[in-house]
Amino acid sequence: MSDTQEVESLLARIALRDATAFKALYDVTARQLLAVAMRVLQNRAVAEEVVQEVFVKIWNQSVHGAPGQTRSLAWLCVITRNRAVDFLRQQRPETPLVWQDAEGQEQHHDVSSEEGSVEDQLLAHEQDLRLGGCMGGLATEPRLALILAFYEGLTHPQIAERMRRPLGTIKAWTRRSLLRLKGCLEAAA
Amino acid sequence: MNWYRHEDTVDRLASAYVLGTLTGRARQRFETAMGSQPGLQRAVAAWTRRLAPLLLALAPVQPSPQLWPAIARVTLSPSAPALPWWQRWLAPLPAGMLAMGLVLGTLVPWLWQAQHAVPEGSQLMAQLPASYVGVLATQAGKPGLIVSSLRHSRAVDIKQVTPMVVSAGAGLYLWRIDKAGGISPIGPLPQGPWVQVNLDQTAEQVFAQAQELAVSVEPLGSRPTVPSQDFVYRGLCAKLWK
Repeated sequence: MSDTQEVESLLARIALRDATAFKALYDVTARQLLAVAMRVLQNRAVAEEVVQEVFVKIWNQSVHGAPGQTRSLAWLCVITRNRAVDFLRQQRPETPLVWQDAEGQEQHHDVSSEEGSVEDQLLAHEQDLRLGGCMGGLATEPRLALILAFYEGLTHPQIAERMRRPLGTIKAWTRRSLLRLKGCLEAAA
Repeated sequence: MNWYRHEDTVDRLASAYVLGTLTGRARQRFETAMGSQPGLQRAVAAWTRRLAPLLLALAPVQPSPQLWPAIARVTLSPSAPALPWWQRWLAPLPAGMLAMGLVLGTLVPWLWQAQHAVPEGSQLMAQLPASYVGVLATQAGKPGLIVSSLRHSRAVDIKQVTPMVVSAGAGLYLWRIDKAGGISPIGPLPQGPWVQVNLDQTAEQVFAQAQELAVSVEPLGSRPTVPSQDFVYRGLCAKLWK
Protein backbone atom coordinates (compact mmCIF):
# COMPACT_ATOMS: atom_id res chain seq x y z
CA MET A 1 0.00 0.00 0.00
CA SER A 2 1.39 3.41 -0.98
CA ASP A 3 1.83 6.25 1.48
CA THR A 4 -1.16 8.03 -0.04
CA GLN A 5 -3.40 4.96 0.12
CA GLU A 6 -2.33 4.26 3.69
CA VAL A 7 -3.08 7.81 4.86
CA GLU A 8 -6.40 7.86 2.93
CA SER A 9 -7.41 4.53 4.44
CA LEU A 10 -6.50 5.58 7.98
CA LEU A 11 -8.38 8.88 7.62
CA ALA A 12 -11.48 7.03 6.39
CA ARG A 13 -11.31 4.74 9.45
CA ILE A 14 -10.78 7.75 11.74
CA ALA A 15 -14.01 9.23 10.32
CA LEU A 16 -15.68 6.17 11.86
CA ARG A 17 -14.02 6.95 15.23
CA ASP A 18 -11.46 4.12 14.93
CA ALA A 19 -8.95 4.87 17.72
CA THR A 20 -6.50 2.24 16.43
CA ALA A 21 -6.39 3.97 13.07
CA PHE A 22 -5.84 7.32 14.80
CA LYS A 23 -2.80 5.98 16.68
CA ALA A 24 -1.54 4.33 13.49
CA LEU A 25 -1.80 7.65 11.64
CA TYR A 26 0.15 9.31 14.43
CA ASP A 27 2.86 6.64 14.23
CA VAL A 28 3.11 7.00 10.45
CA THR A 29 3.05 10.78 10.15
CA ALA A 30 3.93 12.54 13.44
CA ARG A 31 7.70 12.60 12.89
CA GLN A 32 7.34 14.30 9.51
CA LEU A 33 4.65 16.70 10.69
CA LEU A 34 6.81 17.69 13.66
CA ALA A 35 9.75 18.28 11.31
CA VAL A 36 7.55 20.62 9.26
CA ALA A 37 6.28 22.51 12.29
CA MET A 38 9.78 22.83 13.75
CA ARG A 39 11.18 24.09 10.45
CA VAL A 40 8.66 26.91 10.46
CA LEU A 41 8.57 27.68 14.18
CA GLN A 42 12.16 26.83 15.24
CA ASN A 43 10.83 25.82 18.65
CA ARG A 44 10.08 22.22 19.68
CA ALA A 45 7.52 22.99 22.37
CA VAL A 46 5.46 25.27 20.14
CA ALA A 47 5.86 22.90 17.19
CA GLU A 48 4.49 20.01 19.29
CA GLU A 49 1.53 22.22 20.23
CA VAL A 50 0.81 22.79 16.55
CA VAL A 51 1.11 19.06 15.75
CA GLN A 52 -1.19 18.27 18.67
CA GLU A 53 -3.72 20.78 17.32
CA VAL A 54 -3.57 19.23 13.85
CA PHE A 55 -4.22 15.73 15.25
CA VAL A 56 -7.09 16.93 17.43
CA LYS A 57 -8.64 18.55 14.34
CA ILE A 58 -8.19 15.33 12.39
CA TRP A 59 -9.98 13.38 15.15
CA ASN A 60 -12.75 15.97 15.36
CA GLN A 61 -13.19 15.90 11.57
CA SER A 62 -12.50 19.60 11.24
CA VAL A 63 -9.63 19.18 8.78
CA HIS A 64 -11.12 19.14 5.33
CA GLY A 65 -9.76 18.72 1.88
CA ALA A 66 -11.40 20.12 -1.20
CA PRO A 67 -13.82 17.65 -2.81
CA GLY A 68 -11.82 15.14 -4.79
CA GLN A 69 -8.50 16.16 -3.24
CA THR A 70 -6.07 13.35 -2.45
CA ARG A 71 -5.36 13.21 1.26
CA SER A 72 -1.76 12.09 1.60
CA LEU A 73 1.17 12.67 3.92
CA ALA A 74 2.07 15.61 1.66
CA TRP A 75 -1.41 17.07 2.22
CA LEU A 76 -1.04 16.68 6.01
CA CYS A 77 2.39 18.34 5.81
CA VAL A 78 0.86 21.32 4.01
CA ILE A 79 -1.93 21.57 6.61
CA THR A 80 0.65 21.47 9.41
CA ARG A 81 2.81 24.04 7.66
CA ASN A 82 -0.18 26.36 7.17
CA ARG A 83 -1.16 26.07 10.84
CA ALA A 84 2.43 26.74 11.91
CA VAL A 85 2.54 29.79 9.65
CA ASP A 86 -0.76 31.05 11.11
CA PHE A 87 0.72 30.66 14.58
CA LEU A 88 3.91 32.41 13.56
CA ARG A 89 2.01 35.35 12.02
CA GLN A 90 0.22 35.86 15.31
CA GLN A 91 3.41 35.73 17.38
CA ARG A 92 6.36 36.77 15.28
CA PRO A 93 8.63 39.55 16.50
CA GLU A 94 10.07 41.01 13.32
CA THR A 95 13.70 40.20 12.76
CA PRO A 96 15.44 41.67 9.73
CA LEU A 97 17.47 39.32 7.57
CA VAL A 98 20.43 41.67 7.61
CA TRP A 99 21.13 44.09 10.43
CA GLN A 100 23.95 45.96 12.15
CA ASP A 101 25.03 44.90 15.62
CA ALA A 102 26.09 47.22 18.46
CA GLU A 103 29.60 47.48 16.97
CA GLY A 104 28.19 48.49 13.58
CA GLN A 105 29.09 45.13 12.02
CA GLU A 106 26.65 43.78 9.45
CA GLN A 107 24.99 40.54 10.62
CA HIS A 108 23.01 38.05 8.55
CA HIS A 109 20.06 35.98 9.64
CA ASP A 110 20.84 32.36 8.69
CA VAL A 111 17.80 30.78 7.06
CA SER A 112 19.50 27.41 6.55
CA SER A 113 18.65 24.64 8.94
CA GLU A 114 21.24 22.55 10.75
CA GLU A 115 20.75 19.74 8.24
CA GLY A 116 22.08 21.87 5.41
CA SER A 117 20.47 23.90 2.66
CA VAL A 118 17.06 23.08 1.29
CA GLU A 119 18.69 21.92 -1.94
CA ASP A 120 21.01 19.60 0.01
CA GLN A 121 18.07 18.09 1.81
CA LEU A 122 16.08 17.62 -1.39
CA LEU A 123 19.04 16.10 -3.20
CA ALA A 124 19.44 13.60 -0.36
CA HIS A 125 16.02 12.19 -1.22
CA GLU A 126 16.00 10.39 -4.52
CA GLN A 127 12.31 11.05 -5.16
CA ASP A 128 12.87 14.78 -4.74
CA LEU A 129 15.85 15.05 -7.06
CA ARG A 130 13.83 16.91 -9.67
CA LEU A 131 12.60 19.62 -7.30
CA GLY A 132 16.05 19.88 -5.71
CA GLY A 133 17.63 20.31 -9.11
CA CYS A 134 15.04 22.88 -10.13
CA MET A 135 15.45 24.83 -6.89
CA GLY A 136 19.21 24.80 -7.43
CA GLY A 137 18.66 26.35 -10.84
CA LEU A 138 17.08 29.48 -9.39
CA ALA A 139 19.14 32.58 -8.77
CA THR A 140 20.25 32.97 -5.15
CA GLU A 141 18.09 35.87 -4.06
CA PRO A 142 14.84 34.80 -5.75
CA ARG A 143 15.37 31.30 -4.27
CA LEU A 144 15.86 32.82 -0.83
CA ALA A 145 12.63 34.83 -1.22
CA LEU A 146 10.80 31.62 -2.08
CA ILE A 147 12.28 29.79 0.90
CA LEU A 148 11.42 32.63 3.28
CA ALA A 149 7.82 32.53 2.08
CA PHE A 150 7.41 28.77 2.17
CA TYR A 151 9.37 27.80 5.27
CA GLU A 152 9.06 30.90 7.38
CA GLY A 153 5.61 32.03 6.32
CA LEU A 154 6.72 35.54 5.42
CA THR A 155 4.44 37.73 3.32
CA HIS A 156 5.75 39.76 0.38
CA PRO A 157 6.16 42.96 2.46
CA GLN A 158 7.93 41.02 5.23
CA ILE A 159 10.32 39.44 2.72
CA ALA A 160 10.97 42.86 1.23
CA GLU A 161 11.81 44.20 4.66
CA ARG A 162 14.02 41.26 5.53
CA MET A 163 15.91 41.29 2.25
CA ARG A 164 15.88 45.06 1.99
CA ARG A 165 14.55 44.96 -1.54
CA PRO A 166 11.58 46.81 -3.12
CA LEU A 167 8.24 45.08 -2.71
CA GLY A 168 7.75 44.91 -6.49
CA THR A 169 11.09 43.13 -6.87
CA ILE A 170 10.10 40.52 -4.28
CA LYS A 171 6.75 39.91 -5.95
CA ALA A 172 8.41 39.54 -9.33
CA TRP A 173 11.06 37.19 -7.90
CA THR A 174 8.59 34.85 -6.23
CA ARG A 175 6.27 34.72 -9.25
CA ARG A 176 9.09 34.16 -11.71
CA SER A 177 10.70 31.56 -9.44
CA LEU A 178 7.43 29.65 -9.17
CA LEU A 179 6.95 29.73 -12.95
CA ARG A 180 10.51 28.54 -13.47
CA LEU A 181 10.00 25.73 -10.96
CA LYS A 182 6.80 24.68 -12.73
CA GLY A 183 8.47 24.73 -16.13
CA CYS A 184 11.54 22.90 -14.85
CA LEU A 185 9.46 20.19 -13.15
CA GLU A 186 7.28 19.70 -16.23
CA ALA A 187 10.33 19.50 -18.47
CA ALA A 188 11.94 16.93 -16.19
CA ALA A 189 8.76 14.79 -15.97
CA MET B 1 -15.79 38.84 -15.70
CA ASN B 2 -14.98 35.75 -13.67
CA TRP B 3 -11.29 35.66 -12.91
CA TYR B 4 -11.40 31.93 -12.25
CA ARG B 5 -12.01 31.32 -15.96
CA HIS B 6 -8.56 32.68 -16.78
CA GLU B 7 -5.97 29.95 -16.56
CA ASP B 8 -3.03 32.29 -15.92
CA THR B 9 -4.83 34.11 -13.13
CA VAL B 10 -5.91 30.86 -11.51
CA ASP B 11 -2.38 29.50 -11.71
CA ARG B 12 -0.88 32.70 -10.27
CA LEU B 13 -3.30 32.82 -7.37
CA ALA B 14 -3.09 29.08 -6.68
CA SER B 15 0.71 29.23 -6.54
CA ALA B 16 0.60 32.23 -4.17
CA TYR B 17 -2.03 30.45 -2.06
CA VAL B 18 0.12 27.34 -1.64
CA LEU B 19 3.30 29.35 -1.15
CA GLY B 20 1.52 31.39 1.51
CA THR B 21 1.97 34.84 0.01
CA LEU B 22 -1.76 35.23 -0.71
CA THR B 23 -2.95 36.76 2.52
CA GLY B 24 -5.83 38.53 4.22
CA ARG B 25 -9.15 38.97 2.46
CA ALA B 26 -7.73 37.90 -0.88
CA ARG B 27 -6.90 34.53 0.69
CA GLN B 28 -10.40 34.26 2.18
CA ARG B 29 -12.03 35.11 -1.16
CA PHE B 30 -9.84 32.54 -2.89
CA GLU B 31 -10.79 29.85 -0.35
CA THR B 32 -14.47 30.66 -0.79
CA ALA B 33 -14.20 30.41 -4.57
CA MET B 34 -12.21 27.18 -4.25
CA GLY B 35 -15.21 25.56 -2.53
CA SER B 36 -17.20 25.67 -5.75
CA GLN B 37 -14.62 25.81 -8.52
CA PRO B 38 -12.98 22.49 -9.47
CA GLY B 39 -10.46 24.39 -11.62
CA LEU B 40 -9.13 26.19 -8.55
CA GLN B 41 -9.06 22.94 -6.59
CA ARG B 42 -7.04 21.29 -9.35
CA ALA B 43 -4.59 24.20 -9.54
CA VAL B 44 -4.06 24.18 -5.77
CA ALA B 45 -3.64 20.40 -5.76
CA ALA B 46 -1.05 20.69 -8.54
CA TRP B 47 0.94 23.36 -6.68
CA THR B 48 0.69 21.33 -3.48
CA ARG B 49 2.17 18.36 -5.34
CA ARG B 50 4.96 20.55 -6.74
CA LEU B 51 5.97 22.20 -3.47
CA ALA B 52 5.18 19.46 -0.92
CA PRO B 53 8.55 17.72 -1.51
CA LEU B 54 10.09 20.76 0.21
CA LEU B 55 8.29 19.58 3.35
CA LEU B 56 8.65 15.83 2.78
CA ALA B 57 12.42 16.28 2.35
CA LEU B 58 12.87 17.59 5.87
CA ALA B 59 14.59 15.14 8.20
CA PRO B 60 11.90 13.58 10.47
CA VAL B 61 11.95 14.68 14.10
CA GLN B 62 11.05 12.24 16.87
CA PRO B 63 8.23 13.68 18.99
CA SER B 64 8.67 13.83 22.74
CA PRO B 65 7.15 10.92 24.71
CA GLN B 66 4.55 13.36 26.07
CA LEU B 67 3.03 14.28 22.70
CA TRP B 68 0.88 11.23 21.99
CA PRO B 69 -0.51 11.00 25.57
CA ALA B 70 -1.40 14.70 25.32
CA ILE B 71 -3.26 14.12 22.04
CA ALA B 72 -4.96 10.97 23.34
CA ARG B 73 -6.03 12.77 26.52
CA VAL B 74 -8.13 15.30 24.60
CA THR B 75 -9.41 12.90 21.96
CA LEU B 76 -9.56 9.27 23.10
CA SER B 77 -9.55 9.51 26.88
CA PRO B 78 -12.55 7.75 28.45
CA SER B 79 -12.48 10.45 31.13
CA ALA B 80 -13.29 13.04 28.49
CA PRO B 81 -17.05 13.53 28.69
CA ALA B 82 -18.81 12.02 25.71
CA LEU B 83 -20.70 14.69 23.86
CA PRO B 84 -24.39 14.08 23.32
CA TRP B 85 -25.36 13.65 19.67
CA TRP B 86 -26.84 17.12 19.40
CA GLN B 87 -23.62 18.74 20.64
CA ARG B 88 -21.55 16.69 18.20
CA TRP B 89 -23.89 17.90 15.51
CA LEU B 90 -23.64 21.53 16.55
CA ALA B 91 -19.92 21.58 17.31
CA PRO B 92 -18.49 21.82 13.79
CA LEU B 93 -21.12 24.22 12.53
CA PRO B 94 -21.65 27.07 14.94
CA ALA B 95 -21.82 29.70 12.22
CA GLY B 96 -24.36 27.77 10.25
CA MET B 97 -26.87 27.13 12.95
CA LEU B 98 -28.83 30.32 12.56
CA ALA B 99 -28.97 29.91 8.81
CA MET B 100 -30.03 26.29 9.18
CA GLY B 101 -32.73 27.26 11.63
CA LEU B 102 -33.99 29.80 9.14
CA VAL B 103 -34.01 27.20 6.42
CA LEU B 104 -35.92 24.75 8.63
CA GLY B 105 -38.31 27.53 9.58
CA THR B 106 -39.10 28.21 5.95
CA LEU B 107 -38.97 24.56 4.91
CA VAL B 108 -41.65 23.24 7.24
CA PRO B 109 -44.40 25.58 6.04
CA TRP B 110 -43.33 24.93 2.48
CA LEU B 111 -43.53 21.15 3.00
CA TRP B 112 -46.89 21.62 4.55
CA GLN B 113 -48.16 23.51 1.53
CA ALA B 114 -46.52 21.29 -1.06
CA GLN B 115 -47.60 17.98 0.36
CA HIS B 116 -50.98 18.87 1.80
CA ALA B 117 -52.53 21.45 -0.42
CA VAL B 118 -56.20 21.36 0.39
CA PRO B 119 -59.14 22.45 -1.75
CA GLU B 120 -60.28 25.95 -1.12
CA GLY B 121 -63.00 26.01 1.48
CA SER B 122 -62.13 22.66 3.06
CA GLN B 123 -60.99 22.44 6.64
CA LEU B 124 -57.23 22.83 7.16
CA MET B 125 -55.48 19.80 8.57
CA ALA B 126 -54.30 20.22 12.11
CA GLN B 127 -50.79 18.75 11.76
CA LEU B 128 -47.94 18.19 9.35
CA PRO B 129 -47.73 14.91 7.44
CA ALA B 130 -45.44 12.35 9.05
CA SER B 131 -42.14 13.01 7.27
CA TYR B 132 -38.41 12.70 7.62
CA VAL B 133 -36.53 15.94 7.01
CA GLY B 134 -32.79 16.45 6.88
CA VAL B 135 -31.21 19.90 6.81
CA LEU B 136 -27.56 19.52 5.91
CA ALA B 137 -24.90 22.21 6.08
CA THR B 138 -21.78 22.64 3.95
CA GLN B 139 -18.32 22.41 5.52
CA ALA B 140 -18.42 26.21 5.79
CA GLY B 141 -21.60 26.00 7.86
CA LYS B 142 -23.92 27.32 5.16
CA PRO B 143 -27.26 25.68 4.44
CA GLY B 144 -26.39 23.08 1.84
CA LEU B 145 -28.97 20.40 1.20
CA ILE B 146 -32.55 19.65 2.21
CA VAL B 147 -33.69 16.02 2.21
CA SER B 148 -37.35 15.17 2.74
CA SER B 149 -39.52 12.10 2.45
CA LEU B 150 -42.96 11.08 3.66
CA ARG B 151 -42.62 8.49 6.40
CA HIS B 152 -43.95 5.53 4.38
CA SER B 153 -42.84 6.71 0.95
CA ARG B 154 -40.06 5.20 -1.14
CA ALA B 155 -39.26 8.56 -2.76
CA VAL B 156 -36.90 11.17 -1.35
CA ASP B 157 -36.93 14.79 -2.52
CA ILE B 158 -33.62 16.60 -2.40
CA LYS B 159 -33.04 20.31 -2.82
CA GLN B 160 -29.49 21.61 -3.21
CA VAL B 161 -29.44 25.00 -1.49
CA THR B 162 -25.70 25.42 -1.99
CA PRO B 163 -24.56 23.43 -5.04
CA MET B 164 -21.40 21.35 -4.73
CA VAL B 165 -19.35 21.09 -7.90
CA VAL B 166 -17.41 17.83 -8.06
CA SER B 167 -14.72 16.61 -10.43
CA ALA B 168 -15.51 14.57 -13.52
CA GLY B 169 -15.89 10.89 -12.58
CA ALA B 170 -17.13 11.67 -9.10
CA GLY B 171 -20.57 12.11 -7.59
CA LEU B 172 -22.38 12.80 -4.35
CA TYR B 173 -23.22 9.88 -2.04
CA LEU B 174 -25.74 9.96 0.82
CA TRP B 175 -24.96 8.43 4.23
CA ARG B 176 -26.93 7.79 7.39
CA ILE B 177 -25.32 8.34 10.82
CA ASP B 178 -26.98 6.61 13.77
CA LYS B 179 -27.07 7.62 17.42
CA ALA B 180 -23.85 5.70 18.19
CA GLY B 181 -22.03 7.45 15.35
CA GLY B 182 -22.18 4.43 13.01
CA ILE B 183 -22.17 5.38 9.35
CA SER B 184 -23.98 3.37 6.68
CA PRO B 185 -24.53 4.05 2.98
CA ILE B 186 -27.91 5.02 1.53
CA GLY B 187 -27.05 5.63 -2.10
CA PRO B 188 -25.81 8.00 -4.80
CA LEU B 189 -27.39 11.42 -5.23
CA PRO B 190 -27.92 12.86 -8.70
CA GLN B 191 -26.72 16.42 -9.18
CA GLY B 192 -29.34 19.11 -9.62
CA PRO B 193 -31.09 21.89 -7.78
CA TRP B 194 -34.12 19.66 -7.20
CA VAL B 195 -33.96 15.88 -7.63
CA GLN B 196 -35.94 12.86 -6.51
CA VAL B 197 -34.32 9.56 -5.52
CA ASN B 198 -36.17 6.25 -5.24
CA LEU B 199 -35.34 4.08 -2.25
CA ASP B 200 -35.29 0.27 -2.15
CA GLN B 201 -37.10 0.45 1.19
CA THR B 202 -39.52 2.89 2.77
CA ALA B 203 -38.24 6.09 4.32
CA GLU B 204 -39.23 4.65 7.69
CA GLN B 205 -36.87 1.68 7.19
CA VAL B 206 -34.05 3.84 5.81
CA PHE B 207 -34.18 6.84 8.13
CA ALA B 208 -35.68 5.53 11.40
CA GLN B 209 -32.26 5.02 13.00
CA ALA B 210 -30.69 8.11 11.41
CA GLN B 211 -29.65 10.83 13.78
CA GLU B 212 -27.83 12.68 11.05
CA LEU B 213 -27.48 12.53 7.28
CA ALA B 214 -24.28 13.29 5.43
CA VAL B 215 -22.97 13.43 1.89
CA SER B 216 -19.51 12.63 0.62
CA VAL B 217 -17.91 12.73 -2.83
CA GLU B 218 -17.27 9.24 -4.21
CA PRO B 219 -16.23 7.78 -7.59
CA LEU B 220 -19.23 7.57 -9.92
CA GLY B 221 -20.74 4.09 -9.99
CA SER B 222 -19.01 2.98 -6.80
CA ARG B 223 -20.84 1.36 -3.88
CA PRO B 224 -18.71 2.41 -0.91
CA THR B 225 -19.26 0.90 2.52
CA VAL B 226 -17.39 3.71 4.26
CA PRO B 227 -16.91 7.28 3.06
CA SER B 228 -13.56 7.72 1.34
CA GLN B 229 -13.39 11.46 2.10
CA ASP B 230 -14.68 14.08 4.48
CA PHE B 231 -18.37 14.88 4.24
CA VAL B 232 -19.24 17.84 2.08
CA TYR B 233 -22.73 18.17 3.58
CA ARG B 234 -23.83 17.06 7.05
CA GLY B 235 -26.79 17.74 9.32
CA LEU B 236 -29.62 16.58 11.51
CA CYS B 237 -32.29 14.15 10.35
CA ALA B 238 -35.59 14.93 12.05
CA LYS B 239 -38.89 13.08 12.33
CA LEU B 240 -41.80 15.43 11.77
CA TRP B 241 -44.62 13.76 13.65
CA LYS B 242 -45.80 13.44 17.23
